[in-house]
Amino acid sequence: MLYKNEMYKERKAKIQAIKNHPYFGFVILTLLMLVVQLLRVVGVDVPITILRAFGLTMIYIIIALGFSILLGYAGLASLGTAGFVGIGTYIVGYFTKNLEVSIFLIILITIVGAIVIGTIVGFISLRIEGMYLAIITLGLSEILNEVFKNAVNITNGTNGLGINGLVLFKNIINIDHNTIFVILAVFMFAIMILTLNIMKSPTGRALLAMRNSSSAAQAMGVSIFKYRLLAFITSSVYAFLGGVFYMSYVSFTIPTSWSLAFSLNILAAVIVGGAQSIYGIVLGTFMIFGLNLAVFQQIPLFIENPAISVVFNGVLIIVVIMFYPGGLIRLVNTISFKLKAKIRIWKQRRREYKYGVDSE
Amino acid sequence: MFDTTGFWQKTFIFVIVLVAIYAIVNLVFLRKIKNKSKIQNIMINVLLGIGIFYLFLRIFKVIPEFFDPGFFFMQTIVNSITQVCVLALATTGIVLIFKTSTTTNFSQGMVATFGAFAAARLIIHFAATYTELGNTTIVLFGVLGGGITAFLLGVCIDVFIIRKSKVRTPIGKQMITMGLVLVFSGAIPIIFGTLPITIPRISYDPNVIFTLFGKTLSITVSAIYALGISIVLLGLLFSALRFTKWGLGVRATASNEVVASMMGVNTRMITAFSWGIAGLLGGVAAVILAPNSGNVQVALMIPTQVNGFMAAILGSFSSFLGPLVASILIPVLTSLLVFVVPLWQNAVVYIIILVIVLVKPFGLFGNPIAKKV
Amino acid sequence: MASILNKIKISWINGRIKSHQTKHDFNSSFLPIRTSYLESIKANKLKILDLKYKNQLLPFEIKAGIKSDFVQKEFDEAKQEIEDKFSWKERAAKQALIRNNAQDTGELENLKIEKNNILASIKDKFYLETPLKTDVEAYESNKKIINEAYHLKVQKIEEKFSSKLAAFVTKINISIESHQIALKLLKTSLSKVEVNVKKEVFDEDIVLKIDNLSMYFGGLKAVDKLSFEVKEGEVFGLIGPNGAGKTTVFNCITRFYKPSDGDIYFKNNLNEIVHLNDIAVHNVIKEGIVRTFQNVEMIWELNIIDNLLVAAHTMYRSGFFGHLFNSRLLRQEEIVMRKKAEKILLDLDLLQYGYQYPLGLPYGILKKIELARTLMINPKLIILDEPAAGLNDAETTGLADTIKKIQKDYQATIFLVEHDMGLVMDICDTVCAISFGQKLAIGTPKEIQSSKVVQEAYLGGE
Repeated sequence: MLYKNEMYKERKAKIQAIKNHPYFGFVILTLLMLVVQLLRVVGVDVPITILRAFGLTMIYIIIALGFSILLGYAGLASLGTAGFVGIGTYIVGYFTKNLEVSIFLIILITIVGAIVIGTIVGFISLRIEGMYLAIITLGLSEILNEVFKNAVNITNGTNGLGINGLVLFKNIINIDHNTIFVILAVFMFAIMILTLNIMKSPTGRALLAMRNSSSAAQAMGVSIFKYRLLAFITSSVYAFLGGVFYMSYVSFTIPTSWSLAFSLNILAAVIVGGAQSIYGIVLGTFMIFGLNLAVFQQIPLFIENPAISVVFNGVLIIVVIMFYPGGLIRLVNTISFKLKAKIRIWKQRRREYKYGVDSE
Repeated sequence: MFDTTGFWQKTFIFVIVLVAIYAIVNLVFLRKIKNKSKIQNIMINVLLGIGIFYLFLRIFKVIPEFFDPGFFFMQTIVNSITQVCVLALATTGIVLIFKTSTTTNFSQGMVATFGAFAAARLIIHFAATYTELGNTTIVLFGVLGGGITAFLLGVCIDVFIIRKSKVRTPIGKQMITMGLVLVFSGAIPIIFGTLPITIPRISYDPNVIFTLFGKTLSITVSAIYALGISIVLLGLLFSALRFTKWGLGVRATASNEVVASMMGVNTRMITAFSWGIAGLLGGVAAVILAPNSGNVQVALMIPTQVNGFMAAILGSFSSFLGPLVASILIPVLTSLLVFVVPLWQNAVVYIIILVIVLVKPFGLFGNPIAKKV
Repeated sequence: MASILNKIKISWINGRIKSHQTKHDFNSSFLPIRTSYLESIKANKLKILDLKYKNQLLPFEIKAGIKSDFVQKEFDEAKQEIEDKFSWKERAAKQALIRNNAQDTGELENLKIEKNNILASIKDKFYLETPLKTDVEAYESNKKIINEAYHLKVQKIEEKFSSKLAAFVTKINISIESHQIALKLLKTSLSKVEVNVKKEVFDEDIVLKIDNLSMYFGGLKAVDKLSFEVKEGEVFGLIGPNGAGKTTVFNCITRFYKPSDGDIYFKNNLNEIVHLNDIAVHNVIKEGIVRTFQNVEMIWELNIIDNLLVAAHTMYRSGFFGHLFNSRLLRQEEIVMRKKAEKILLDLDLLQYGYQYPLGLPYGILKKIELARTLMINPKLIILDEPAAGLNDAETTGLADTIKKIQKDYQATIFLVEHDMGLVMDICDTVCAISFGQKLAIGTPKEIQSSKVVQEAYLGGE
């Protein structure tokens, strides 16, 4: 009996530890994605639109995670996301189509490019702060969009750039979407873990300190210069990688995709979910992109009026900022907390009904 | 006129030269002057701008190819009058809201587009019912209608959304306006249909030919109307800001909202009214712009919006005059650059603004605000 | 030329000393934490193993009628469980009776009888009167086998843990020793080099020296040729009427403002004299100067312990990639820093707030937390900007005690600006009064109190 009790406690503690492990939710999410894909492969008729919606949402989650480091942790509002993602897509398009460079090398090139661009924008952010930064990055995004439109030799102009497949080692191979979906899920898992590591580490704390009060942060030894650059570089690496994944998955890119609306949607996803929580961002991205792609596009009313989903996104972002400043994840947490308290009270009442009030 | 192959080299040289000249002049001359007044500052900057622009034209060897550089300049400026008017109206709206609500209003352009759609409907309705009215009268009524719609919309946004928000930080409000952009860009097609609507020009009269400094120039009648409307509106606004009680309230609110409300200024009324006026300015601008860019569609005001922000940043948000000057400079520069770097004119203008703002983060006419630790 | 080379050499050696010192400190603080952790794991494993062994032996013991401690315990446990179960049943039955307003007690009696029956059966099972001989033999043989297995396992665990522990301890000790040797060598070489270099004249016991400091804002002279010295280990107060330039002096020391003229020297933890004018804002803390702010500057999204860890930011040796991949070094450092933060909070009676968020905590507590935050980096000089601003009397006395305690326990010099004269007179060893950026008087609190110049400045002379 004693031994059994002890073992039971031990096992319970182990299960609890697994449940409380910070990566547990990520594993569940990734498995969920893989299960959807597996169903398709096995032969269950999962609509291709839903699968594609999930794939795109995963890409947007990666981009939004980078943006959350920028907005939620460093407190820098940027509207340049669309341009950055666009550069990522065009790098893949140009290098694959015209030069037939291997995708691994392309990823390396994008990371280097992201570091360069991130450094430039970081330097800009040192001079221009707060609300002005959003405007300046919007201008930067516009410049990039002009480049996408006008540098016809590289980007094929307003007609858009398409690729037939990717170069793994030597030749262009047409990799099917299912494989890319699985790779995407794995990458999303890895990036979530890395993001969580940043958020919980001294780096994340330093970024938060900088966001709260730059003078206090400096007094505590946080170099504003270093961490601004770091935040921008990280977020632009995420955005560029998002672009690479987008191009690999969709195989087509066009300047109009990378306009202000895209940046605003990513912003909306991060704000609606909750800018400082990874689950919040996942939730927000599903609300803003996933819901539209997977659900609304199946309903006739929404197919006829595609604008409704845009209104929905806008209303969501306004309502969340107006009434739930911490994002929906805080609302979810509050509700679950209240629910748990209710359940506890209910259990207590039941106990009292059955056994009477405790005399002590 | 201009071989596109050497474009990048030339742009690079241009940017380098621009930065170098500005830096040299700034270091050698401007730093020496102590206690500059605001007007002196503006004058210096304008002179510098003209000088740099002249040098820029020399580098690109544009001037010798035209038989008359003076004519070229003036005609281009005259041609971009409509753009200048539109941008000036939009920018003033943005700055007004910044002054009273300390936020950069991203939804300005969308409110204006909404107004333009309403105006388009009004114009179609008027044209069908009151056939005896002339084209000009109908369009002017449309301008009025669009302005009033946008005015009401602006007031509604402030009263029902911005004021009710829990988050009152500038960036929070800014994000609300970003959300409003999404709402409007979805709502407009639902309300007004997805098809673009055409608005007639204010006037189809033949161009007016006039002589200025010995150069014969031509200008469209619509542009004259646009200029008149904007001068009247901006004149009214600026005189109201300077001479009326409301203007005093706006200035008080701009300097410190809490203190202003404690001193008995009705800040709620003032913010609501300034949102409305910003909407009105935007709406009028959109109706003026619509025939120029073809027809009324959702993306009508987006370039103007971006340019307006750029002008406001370039001229500094803290003054009204600076953005106005900047909003004259930007369209003129753009339309001049069309001859030099076709297709790339917008990008080049943005790059120039970016460089200037990096050198002077508070704009050409703004002064840095001291930070307290 | 030679002196410049020597200076470079000294700064290089000082850098080496710093890095060795931090590694040495880290290792020596990590050693007990890790050891106690390993030991607790080992103890837990052994406890479970012991229970397992006894549990295996239990059936044989019962059959052989042996009444060991474990059998007794097991019996008590089983009895307790049954009694618990029945007590709940009884309560439920009683409650049902109350609910139904019934008088029928038959069910309760039934329960009692049932309980007694089960208890009796259990007693029979555990306390067998006449064991069979075969069972006794089986017990003996099985005990041997099980005992052997148990001892083997215990040995294995002991070996595993002791080897782990020994490896760890030797590794850490070697590194500690190597750091110590390196430190010794470096220090001797430093003393050799230092002989050749002319040092700035600096008395033994002075920490901070401000020399002809001036600060102009446009035409306004906020600080005008101010000079004073702060001695090691004292509480130094800077007082003056509003607008006297106290905060400006602070901001010059912590490099938020660049002084227009004058020098600030500081003797850091390595007894190296630093010219503070050459140091960037965010590097001031590395020399051992920490400051607080007039209005508390908390990081509202982090709990109190994490707030303290932010102050330890410069003590982390792991870089960005270490943070990105959650490296082993980072995890070890986090453990060490957390322990340190908890210890500081315990010292200042704040541990109960450790995992709360600063939003909603009283202002006095936040001020104290800000003080605690300064202690994270083993500061040499703590700069307090109006610590008592916005506090009530009780909170102010509490704060004074805390400041005294910090001065005593952490051997830190404290330099403060304050308006609350009671606090200044109470805790300061030396007070400097300034007015319009110029020094009026410096001395003990009593001297300042009786100084006529100061009284004039405060009350306004003719």
